[in-house]
Amino acid sequence: MAAQPKALPLEVPSYLEGGLLGWLTTVDHKRVAVLYAISTLLFMAIGGIEAMLLRLQLWSPENHFISASLYNQLFTMHGTTMIFLVVMPMEVGFFGNFFMPIQIGARDVAFPRLNAMSFWIFLAGAIFLHLGWLWGLLPNAGWFGYANLTERYFSPGLNLDFWVVGLLILGVSTLMGGLNFFVTIIAMRAKGMSYLRMPMFTWMILVTSILILIAFPPLTVGLVFLLLDRFFDTHFYVSLFGATPILWQHLFWLFGHPEVYIMILPAFGFISEILPVYARKPLFGYPMMVYATIMIAFLSYGVWGHHMFATGMGPVADSAFAITSMLIAIPTGIKIFSWLATVWGGSLRMTTSLYFALAMLLEFTIGGLSGVMFAAAPVDLQQTDTYFVVAHFHYVLFGGSMFAILAALYYWWPKITGRMLSERLGKIEFWFTIIGFNGTFLPMHFLGMWGMPRRIYTYGAGLGWTHLNQFETVCAFILGLSFLILYYNLIMSTLIGEKATADPWDGRSLEWSIASPPPAYNFAHSPVVRSRDAFWAMKYGRAGSRGVAMFMAGQIPAVPESQQAIPTEPIHMPAPSIYPVLIALSLMMMGSGLVIGEWRIIIIGVAALIASVVAMAFEYPTYGQDTHEIEEAEASSGGIDLRKAGLWAFLGSECVFFASLIATYVVYKSRNIGGPGAGILEIPLTSISTFALLMSSLAMVLALNAIQRNKKNLMRLWLGITILLGLVFLGVEAYEFAHFYHEGLSMQTDLFGQSFFTLVGFHGFHVSIGVLWLTTVWFASFSDKFDKSRALSVELGGLYWHFVDIVWVIIFTLVYLMQQVKGA
Amino acid sequence: MKRTTAYVTAAILTASAMLAGCARGRELPMTTLSPKSDLAEWIYRLLIEVTLWDTLVFVVVITIFVLGLFVFSTRVGEAAPPSTAESDLKLEVAWTLGPALILLMITIPTIRTIFRSQPNLPPAGSLQIEVVAHQWWWEFHYGDKNQIVTANELHIPTGVPIRLNLRSADVIHSFWVPQLGGKRDVVPGQMNELTFIATIPGMYPGQCAEFCGESHANMRMRVFVETPQQFAEWEKVQVTAPPAAASITDPAAAAGAQAFANSPCTTCHRIDGVSKGYMGPDLTHFGSRTTMAGAIEANNPADVAQWITNPAYVKPGAEMPALGLSGKNLDDLVAYLESLK
Amino acid sequence: MSEVTQTAGVLEPHGRVAEAEAHHPGAVIYVIVAAFLAVLTAMEITVFYVPALKAVVVPVLLVLAAAKFALIALFFMHLKYDSWVLSAFFLFGLLIAFVLLFAMMMLFAYLTHHRD
Repeated sequence: MAAQPKALPLEVPSYLEGGLLGWLTTVDHKRVAVLYAISTLLFMAIGGIEAMLLRLQLWSPENHFISASLYNQLFTMHGTTMIFLVVMPMEVGFFGNFFMPIQIGARDVAFPRLNAMSFWIFLAGAIFLHLGWLWGLLPNAGWFGYANLTERYFSPGLNLDFWVVGLLILGVSTLMGGLNFFVTIIAMRAKGMSYLRMPMFTWMILVTSILILIAFPPLTVGLVFLLLDRFFDTHFYVSLFGATPILWQHLFWLFGHPEVYIMILPAFGFISEILPVYARKPLFGYPMMVYATIMIAFLSYGVWGHHMFATGMGPVADSAFAITSMLIAIPTGIKIFSWLATVWGGSLRMTTSLYFALAMLLEFTIGGLSGVMFAAAPVDLQQTDTYFVVAHFHYVLFGGSMFAILAALYYWWPKITGRMLSERLGKIEFWFTIIGFNGTFLPMHFLGMWGMPRRIYTYGAGLGWTHLNQFETVCAFILGLSFLILYYNLIMSTLIGEKATADPWDGRSLEWSIASPPPAYNFAHSPVVRSRDAFWAMKYGRAGSRGVAMFMAGQIPAVPESQQAIPTEPIHMPAPSIYPVLIALSLMMMGSGLVIGEWRIIIIGVAALIASVVAMAFEYPTYGQDTHEIEEAEASSGGIDLRKAGLWAFLGSECVFFASLIATYVVYKSRNIGGPGAGILEIPLTSISTFALLMSSLAMVLALNAIQRNKKNLMRLWLGITILLGLVFLGVEAYEFAHFYHEGLSMQTDLFGQSFFTLVGFHGFHVSIGVLWLTTVWFASFSDKFDKSRALSVELGGLYWHFVDIVWVIIFTLVYLMQQVKGA
Repeated sequence: MKRTTAYVTAAILTASAMLAGCARGRELPMTTLSPKSDLAEWIYRLLIEVTLWDTLVFVVVITIFVLGLFVFSTRVGEAAPPSTAESDLKLEVAWTLGPALILLMITIPTIRTIFRSQPNLPPAGSLQIEVVAHQWWWEFHYGDKNQIVTANELHIPTGVPIRLNLRSADVIHSFWVPQLGGKRDVVPGQMNELTFIATIPGMYPGQCAEFCGESHANMRMRVFVETPQQFAEWEKVQVTAPPAAASITDPAAAAGAQAFANSPCTTCHRIDGVSKGYMGPDLTHFGSRTTMAGAIEANNPADVAQWITNPAYVKPGAEMPALGLSGKNLDDLVAYLESLK
Repeated sequence: MSEVTQTAGVLEPHGRVAEAEAHHPGAVIYVIVAAFLAVLTAMEITVFYVPALKAVVVPVLLVLAAAKFALIALFFMHLKYDSWVLSAFFLFGLLIAFVLLFAMMMLFAYLTHHRD
């Protein structure tokens, strides 16, 4: 019925063609996305089966279907799987990877090899989390693994070792992904695609990436502390020596709440793409939607305390977090109302995708409104840790994120595989989902208010909870059935589905302007964007008013001239690389060695990691020479170099990482009991190393200055001096650490010792990486091709080096010079 | 398709109405909706207030949704062309300020309740009780010299401000008796408090609400709210020492007393005048309690015997070892414990 | 008909790499900045050792550290010369870092008074 632009004129080879080795070494963002899709669909099935088992155990009071210990493992894995291995990677890794670059008119992401690495490291972390199956020792302390239950003393098994290491590996992958997408959107948009012309989904991925960059460092720090506690007998979360397990909760929720928005913002993006297409109306209130998202991102970093009202933070902190949590409801409301206004007066095509999108509006609204209840701190005291919370976050994460994911699957599947999904099966699935979902989770609100706590493997009879639990279990299986229909639909579509045209839905954004499935290079010609809804405007003209008239007259718009599928000049695409897989493998080796306590495996892993990274750096011989095609397109990015942008964004993220360490140091120093304390620090010695590090920065800029004037030998001299001064600094630090250890201050002695050694030690670790980096550049400079044009390689290493220097400026002042000052 | 949607919507609404109806006339001992203390009452009132505002917003959204979907939109090709409206400043300001006002209306009573429910110092004349949370049972200490130590069952009088000082012996737990008010985490190394006045006598079950390990689900408790007279009587019984082994008349109990005094039980359990263990619950007045083992089992001879024979079956992960008692020895021991009124 | 080539390397952005090097300061400026850094460090150490300054040691040290921080970021890391976008990335991270540090200090100051 809908007006269809005629199919693209020629068959083009799709990105999907290629052998197994091609998939292993691929750096194509679309292939990486498909790899994400396959693995997340698999993990979704695993997480779903876990949920079914949980529901069966809750069928009746005092049930003995599964043991307490297995139940605890299953709910931990269900939560961890759905959050880290399903919703987030599906939204960002799968859909984000596939469509964000196409939507901005790019041929790939900014750092294709880093992108592949994100996936393989994700897979390594995911496998690691599941390794416990082999011994029947799955993680068992809940997805937020509250300390001090997670300490070795209370949880001696390997269970949580898999969890800590697995999450650390996953964190690395997510951070890489966030950085990559951030730089891609900032610096690789097509000509004319200003910020306020970007498709809403791309906007959401941008904000999500920023949230990833600032939210994951606190989690990493928290996990590192836990790892030290479990493997090296420190006491970060033990109440001995004045430490407190509450520190974990703060670090965890500093990550955890932004994480909630990391999972819902891309879902908002799906809905904002889907509604306008099927309503044939532009998205209502686009600028307000953008501002509301930015508001949400800012506020999401200031509301973590609402997960901790019951911990006794005091009335002032409770009130502050209550207010920020209330505020975040305002931008969320703006979004809901704008979507409603988008549908209002539209010309709706009732596809399965639109069904799910509309259902998401209502289900998410319910989740949002029950969320407001938690912002009222005293009410939260009754509801937290009950089934009311379980109901709430399933309405947000399932009713919100998962419904949006399902809508997106039906919407974008033809573009990914080139085949349509069955609409008939889709509608059947939809009703099963709606009934199963609401039947499972709506009664949980009542159970929660009737006092049923979460995470209990059994409950007493006579509490009035039995009937609703049985009803929920039945509905959970209906929900499970709906996913079986989905999987069947996906498989059948892939095998024998009806072929899709390039633009089956009369789409509005650029992905519909290229073939389904797209060619490896996406665009034969880099598109030029003249308005929001870029492809719509290409088809119908600006603002779509002509489009409406054409549509009513049943006319078919012509494919724009610029969208022809065959390239007329050479396209330069990044070459495949085996190193992403190798790096993921070496990380897994390091983790395994740590868990089983085999040092040789760790050392081999570290060596393999360093070797792969360095080898990957030398994969770059043609760097800085392939500018031939770039000249044609004017930058909408203001001429920022990708690598420089990436490094600076990384440094911004590092600020948050060090802030977490510094905060721990300041807090724990003031709570320190006994031990030698800060008085042990020696100023004269450290002054020397401080001076060495400052002067190394001078040598570094002089090296850069030399290569910019094409003086290679002078550059090598200054770079050598920088490396040497760095080694002096490291030597003094090693001496200092040995000296303290001799004096009786170690990681295990007291609070001061452990937070001092981790803060200063992590800085030392950064210096070591800097030395390694600069040494690599030094060796690379012997190549003939290394001249003025490669100055950027030196500059990047230098930026990292200077950052390490300014961190030391802070540490020197805060730790050494203020040693006598009482902390907070 | 339109009709199907309507049917399903109707079905969902009916189902939720039925669920709400279930609450009435049913025994719900852990409900949060039936406050029995001043604290629970404040929270309940705030909940009602927030729920009313939430309902208002939901009705508005549903109305716009239904109108937008079924009245002011058309199916493709059916009638009028779609509108091309991209924004409307007045509308957008309205749906920013409207919710903001509602949130303000919620914030004010919220902050009032936060401050009023967390007094920094114990109110004058309050009864202070120290609560110690263990994996997986509760311990209550009364009086400045621990005159009364009991487990899993807390007795408090009505009308007197109660100040619970919460400590943990191991990991984080959360003290929660829904009818008496919100929960408060019990954090190792930190002193948390809960202050309230119970208003209506009765037995209110509670439970640990923070995941605390394998048997988290088995860490329950009971709170007996009594009139001041009843409470005074209970106090009087609790402070008296149980009869010495020599003066026990029941032969089985007397034999059990002997067996207990010579058993490893004494290393962990205290009975006033008999043993000094402190790892496990104080058993001085064990027989006066209605439940045992983290309030998951009724306190009757059969269940006590089962618990002693196989603690790990009743409460997975429990620290109490199975001592291999059986036959007469077991029956005597149970008789003795039950005699400790 | 044209070919699609694959060579090692990242995909280039649409934007042309700006000739930022041209705006970088010369060696003289670098040396002057380094001299300032050395002097500031000397001042810091002096403040630490002079008992008379004990009352103001915290604000003075913080100001000196901030000055060193700014000098390195602006000149050695070229934020003064590069695109403002790069400064924005870094400043945003820095802002979040300060929020985190401040909030954690406040929250734990309360907790410390509620020790068991």
